Amino acid sequence: MTGVKLSGAEIVVEELKTEGVEVAFGIPGGVLLDLYDVLYKEEAIRHILMRHEQCAAHAADGYARVSGKTGVCIATSGPGATNLVTGLANANMDSSPVVALTGQVPTSVIGTNAFQEASTFTITMPITKHNFLVKRTEDLPKVIHNAFYIANTGRKGVVLVDLPKDILAGEAKVDLHPKETFAGYKPNIKPNQVQIKRVVEILAQAERPLILAGGGVISADATVELRRLAEFLSAPVVTTLMGKGAIPESHPLCLGMAGMHGQVYANRAINECDALLALGTRFSDRTTGWQLDQFAPDATLIHVDIDTAEINKNLPVDIPIVGDVKLALSEILKLLEKKRAKKSGSEWEKRIKKMHEACDSCVEDIPREGASVSDILIKEISKILDDDAIVTTEVGQCQMFAAHYYMTRKPRTFISSGGLGTMGFGFPAAIGAKVAAPDKKVVDIAGDGSFLMTCQDLATCVESDIQVVVCIFDNRYLGMVRQWQELFYEKKYAQTGLGVTPDFVKLAEAFGCYAERVEKPEELKDALNNAFESGKTAVLDMIVGKEDKVLPMIPPGGGIIGMIGTERCKHI
Amino acid sequence: MQTHIISLLVEDQPGVLTRMSGMFTQRGINITSLTVSPCEKEGLSRMTVAIKGSERELEKVRKQISNLIEVVKVVDLGESEAIVRDLCLLKVHVKNSEARSEVMQLAESYGAKIVDAALDSVTLELTEEPERINRFVDLMRHFGVKQLFRTGVTAIGTGAGLER
Repeated sequence: MTGVKLSGAEIVVEELKTEGVEVAFGIPGGVLLDLYDVLYKEEAIRHILMRHEQCAAHAADGYARVSGKTGVCIATSGPGATNLVTGLANANMDSSPVVALTGQVPTSVIGTNAFQEASTFTITMPITKHNFLVKRTEDLPKVIHNAFYIANTGRKGVVLVDLPKDILAGEAKVDLHPKETFAGYKPNIKPNQVQIKRVVEILAQAERPLILAGGGVISADATVELRRLAEFLSAPVVTTLMGKGAIPESHPLCLGMAGMHGQVYANRAINECDALLALGTRFSDRTTGWQLDQFAPDATLIHVDIDTAEINKNLPVDIPIVGDVKLALSEILKLLEKKRAKKSGSEWEKRIKKMHEACDSCVEDIPREGASVSDILIKEISKILDDDAIVTTEVGQCQMFAAHYYMTRKPRTFISSGGLGTMGFGFPAAIGAKVAAPDKKVVDIAGDGSFLMTCQDLATCVESDIQVVVCIFDNRYLGMVRQWQELFYEKKYAQTGLGVTPDFVKLAEAFGCYAERVEKPEELKDALNNAFESGKTAVLDMIVGKEDKVLPMIPPGGGIIGMIGTERCKHI
Repeated sequence: MQTHIISLLVEDQPGVLTRMSGMFTQRGINITSLTVSPCEKEGLSRMTVAIKGSERELEKVRKQISNLIEVVKVVDLGESEAIVRDLCLLKVHVKNSEARSEVMQLAESYGAKIVDAALDSVTLELTEEPERINRFVDLMRHFGVKQLFRTGVTAIGTGAGLER
């Protein structure tokens, strides 16, 4: 299309449609009236009215993680935009593609402390991959196109577009759908062949190979290649929190999550391997622990990542490969498959298998104090839900119980706030997840502390008929911090007791949701079924032990083989 | 801690400077000097940033700055392989004619120009390597430096002029 005269708001909506946007999560406001006036007539874009801007950002984030498409959120100027900040920081930290559109006061009054003015452009600069403040209506086609291009290429992330009112209201004759981009933005995707050959040699010769799969494997849709490589090499796979689902956790080669709250044997495997192929991960301290001499000390460390800045950032690596994980894995497989496949049954595999089985059996023998049932509940949820069901989590103990015990079987079905660790993320992310995958069951594994931070969006669910199930692990504590106080601060529970908490069943019912209290694990199955069959958004208030602890764990300052709470893991 | 000079080619857009400097701020790295100016290509600007920091720290920041969408090119100029210049304007106190002639002699030996003179002061201009300017300024302190202005360093790679 060339040279059409449109208003700024019309241009924005036209370009959104061109980018394939089908849904946006947002809240209108004074400076966005022109944009919402166009959206009012627009049938191709479903707008979901959220009850807090933070939730709009989390919902767009959840939508993006489940669908792989770019999530869109909209907020007005000033408080609308500042409320978005946590959600955007969260999405950006976990490399989730999100485009945020914010209203801004008219260009003529920017910088005058106008009503509902905040400098969104400067506030969001350090928490986005890129951001724009649009100064001319005719720039809109290029800006919107680039926002989507930047958000969903290279290392994915958040792009914010700040839209002053007069830019949206003004008209311009523009060419829609430009292809123009930035000279300095070249998302590096083709891996170096020389490095690939070196990696193939190392992997072919390794006696104790191990693959560490991060979130990059999922976001690059490289899970098929990962599985092929693991099977060809008979190499066990451990994942990060973000990598959960990169390989089915029921696969015999999958050791589950490594790191601070990971599986003991997954951490052991990292310590003992002689070649570690790390894919799409940034070696966060939650994965490596703090004693780096325990992290793969005897291994050739290979790091594949799309972001050059991640290479040698947290750990010095032996062979870096900058590029798309999917491409890199395909190239490695192409060369490797000319060689003979590794036979299964190596000493390494036997060792891993022994550790794995030993741990699985001793988990059942945990001495239980009182109502300590959190792990049982997660395993129960894992059993009840089908392979396609999506689990989102809040942050804290509930999250780490889920990360440790929930068996993720498919990519993009375990959605959690990894980098930022945002309490209140899980529920709005579940809303986004359900909108992206309406036919799948969506369950938010929540804590009572986290859920209270964003629970007002139950209203959104009821109003927009978005059926998610919130399972609250109700212990009346900010559990993870309490756990640290118990273990490392002489049980001084400073400000972690929640005291009088609301009756979550009544709270949910007041919003028009289905709700039920689950006092014992054996009641969970029926309760979950009732929730799914209610045809409503549902909240299950699950009573768990007040002083449940997520163990084993790497204590702060410790290394990956220095986990505490492993009394029951003596045999490894 | 070594001084590093980073030369950046960036899109001439509002906000680029904040984005770039934010990368240093976040890591608590102090920028010792900074110059921004037009360059040979239209629509692009060149920034020359001098910072003190370890090699490892600098390597991380350099990569993260390269990631900025509006940064077209980043070159780390080692001091040995670059021509580095700083421009200094300083107003020196001269209490009598003896001091005045001494200042003027020293200025001449350093290649500094006299750009203004008053009864009790002389204003000098010197374009040089930063270290040589430091030495010159130190000398002038004996007479009394009333005001000192420096532009901060700008630098260009030696040889054929191709940036690495």
